[in-house]
Amino acid sequence: MTTNLTNEVLDLLNGSVTEVFNTMFSLEAKPAAPHDLQASGETLVAGSVGFIGDVNGVVYLQVTAAFARVLASLMLGMSEDEIEGDEMVNDVVGEVSNMIVGAVKSRLCDSGSSCVLTIPSIVRGSSFHVEPTGSSNRRALSFQCGADHLLVELLMKPSK
Amino acid sequence: MSKKILTVDDSKTIRMIIQRAFRAHDCAFCEAGNGEEGLAAAAREKPDLIILDITMPVMDGITMLTKLRQDPELKVTPVIMLSAESGRDSIAKIAQLGISDYLIKPFKEEQLLEKAGKVIPLTLKAAA
Repeated sequence: MTTNLTNEVLDLLNGSVTEVFNTMFSLEAKPAAPHDLQASGETLVAGSVGFIGDVNGVVYLQVTAAFARVLASLMLGMSEDEIEGDEMVNDVVGEVSNMIVGAVKSRLCDSGSSCVLTIPSIVRGSSFHVEPTGSSNRRALSFQCGADHLLVELLMKPSK
Repeated sequence: MSKKILTVDDSKTIRMIIQRAFRAHDCAFCEAGNGEEGLAAAAREKPDLIILDITMPVMDGITMLTKLRQDPELKVTPVIMLSAESGRDSIAKIAQLGISDYLIKPFKEEQLLEKAGKVIPLTLKAAA
């Protein structure tokens, strides 16, 4: 049952990422083979949103800092030069994470698995890994948007 | 005549996206980052339309809307609710709050303009 639920959430994430990127950025996020975002040594930005209730888990959305600025530029209708500092970029990544996981949460509630969302949080760095604790499962989805990549990591706690 | 729109959302990104959606129209904007600030802004600015997020810190959108409807001067102000949650129960609850319409994130600018245009008359800015 846990594996089925995890697969259900992964399917929902797949659809949600595609929809959010198409709607908010007019970008096609295509499911892709695993891509090591850290291999280039670039700074990464990860937005995370959790869900708590009948199902419990957290989703991390990782992109390079450079791609995050592109996304912020597209979402805000500003040139990258006009975006000063990281605050607005972080807000965009957080909001995108919220939209993606919000859609998943809605579908889970409709199917009878009630849960609520946590607030988004942002992590920045060039070398970090998302690792599950002993009791949770980790699954990952990779997407490609043109020349850029997106990694979505799901950590889920087994259902009671 | 310029329409005044109050956007209440804890995300500056969303507030900017909303304002940008109306760039071709004759609208003035005021904004707030939570329901408490939203109530103060509504009382001060007397907007023609409020675009209100649900999930916010300090005071959420549902609480703000409830208090808004208790204010004799503001209770008829049209409200479009924003939410990242599209579940059946969430939509059913939103629909019972006496709002003019709702919009689920993610959304296209055209969707927002269409819904706002049904609530308040939008006029294009005069050509420069």
